[in-house]
Amino acid sequence: MLDQIVAAQEQPVSNESIDWRVITRCRQGDRDALRALFEAYKDRVYSIAKYSLGGDEQMASDVTQQVFIKLMTRLGQFRGDSEFATWLYRLVVNTCRDEQRKQRRWVPLADSAFMTATVKQTQTAQYASKELARQVQRALGELKPKLRWPLLLRYVEGLSYEEIGKVLGCSKGTVASRLNRGHSALSRKLGHLRDQLGPE
Amino acid sequence: MFSNHVSNLSSAYWHNELTPPQSRRVAEHLIGCSRCRAEFEDVKLGARFAEQLELISAPESLWAGITAGINVEAAPSRRFQFLRFQFLKPIAIAATLLLLIGGGLLLLLPRRVDNQTGWQVARLGGSPRIGSESVSDNSRLGVGQWLETDAGSRAKLEVANIGNVEIDPNTRVRLLQTNNSEHRLELARGRLSARISAPPKLFFVNTPSGVAEDLGCAYTLEVDDAGNSHLRVTLGWVALQLRERESVVPAGAACVTRSGIGPGTPYFEDASEAFRSSLSRFDFPADPSSQASALHNVTREARPRDAMTLFYLLPRVNGNERAMVYDRMTALMPPPDGVTREGMLNLNPQMMERWQGKLGLTWGRSLDQAAKTWRKVWSSALGSLNGLQGKR
Repeated sequence: MLDQIVAAQEQPVSNESIDWRVITRCRQGDRDALRALFEAYKDRVYSIAKYSLGGDEQMASDVTQQVFIKLMTRLGQFRGDSEFATWLYRLVVNTCRDEQRKQRRWVPLADSAFMTATVKQTQTAQYASKELARQVQRALGELKPKLRWPLLLRYVEGLSYEEIGKVLGCSKGTVASRLNRGHSALSRKLGHLRDQLGPE
Repeated sequence: MFSNHVSNLSSAYWHNELTPPQSRRVAEHLIGCSRCRAEFEDVKLGARFAEQLELISAPESLWAGITAGINVEAAPSRRFQFLRFQFLKPIAIAATLLLLIGGGLLLLLPRRVDNQTGWQVARLGGSPRIGSESVSDNSRLGVGQWLETDAGSRAKLEVANIGNVEIDPNTRVRLLQTNNSEHRLELARGRLSARISAPPKLFFVNTPSGVAEDLGCAYTLEVDDAGNSHLRVTLGWVALQLRERESVVPAGAACVTRSGIGPGTPYFEDASEAFRSSLSRFDFPADPSSQASALHNVTREARPRDAMTLFYLLPRVNGNERAMVYDRMTALMPPPDGVTREGMLNLNPQMMERWQGKLGLTWGRSLDQAAKTWRKVWSSALGSLNGLQGKR
């Protein structure tokens, strides 16, 4: 079926059509094709891994590598009945969850401290934006995973509610409800920083 | 009417995820309902904060690891092998069910201590006891059993086939678990010396004030009657942990834990008495108001070698105190390239990593790598024989 779809696409212009062609080559074991997929998705996969794993760069790197290795070995299971990106993000979410379970007791001192340390630093205008992003990351890390994942998929990956539901295996209504609660939680945790947000 | 409120649609409305009629209904409702309007403003504010999340660039070095990983995985052969043995699936399910039923029946039988799978115990002196029985030549310590030494006795435990633990006088230990993925002792009081040659994270010792996690090492661990412990590492690394508080202790260093608090900051044993006592007052202050002066003394008494302790203190202090600790670090040892004071005061992860490398504290990455290598070697060479695998 995939081959037929690929054959039907003469001059692919969208990312999705490029993906299909690359996916087919990937399934045939083509390393260059995997490299193309890696280049197309590496930042998104890495970003979501890093945000979901509390900002730990080493773990995020490990997860990103695992995701692309799994992608190569499991691509045969991808039937094309969902978007490739949805399938990939599901792989990312599951790999992150597995990693969190495995790492429950193995958090380097320094890195865990980065997450828990209360940094009281002067808010200068020059660094306010960076500091705000850091505070958002920390607040996000304090949310329950079921509220954190929809926020990550929406704001880092730009997915629609329907796509988020497919990745997380829940309904669009559940996604809307969790995003509502996630937004409210962020608002409560970060409300004191509202002045640092630019104009609407 | 309550059911007419639209606050549960706030996010979807803001993200334009509603149908046009739904959107119109929400918009009209918000004009007249102050409660829903307030909740909508709340969601909007949260959304504006979430918009601060940005895409992060992945390191280029990841690709090399991926290609190496794929070489190991050998994808196509696996897939075909799986297909070839698809017919075995029902048999495997049936076998699993039988095992589950058998396991359930076994659980219904009276439980007894499993001496055969326990650890061999050797008497080194005096009359150590397992429960009420004296240790003999062929004694084994089973899961759940206590081994106790009095003032004149000592014993040695063989930890499966990965190392040994010597039990000093006046010590009480219990074997909590021993299997392919985890060997765990409880040290209630007294002192033990462990020498382990195995993948990291395979051997653990529980104490009342934390868990000592072996990272491939030799060490001595002592617990007093109050449940406080003192760890001295002679080879490799040991991680001490209680809940979220963790210290990783390198060879030549020691670390104290306090019951109910957890591990303090690691320090080299040849540090001055003034340094060590000040560090103890900082880690476990009897009077919190004295913590600042204790930290001041720690920085003043630190030698270049004690930069390790100062490094581990950075995340544990804030503001001016962090600046004081970091300035002392740089006075003792020039910072590595690419590191700025401002970055370190913000605990920039990349810069912290550079300092780790400079101080020889690259345990995180190197041990992780070592653990992976160990796992591969053990699972391929010995795994089929004894199934030993380290934990991550």
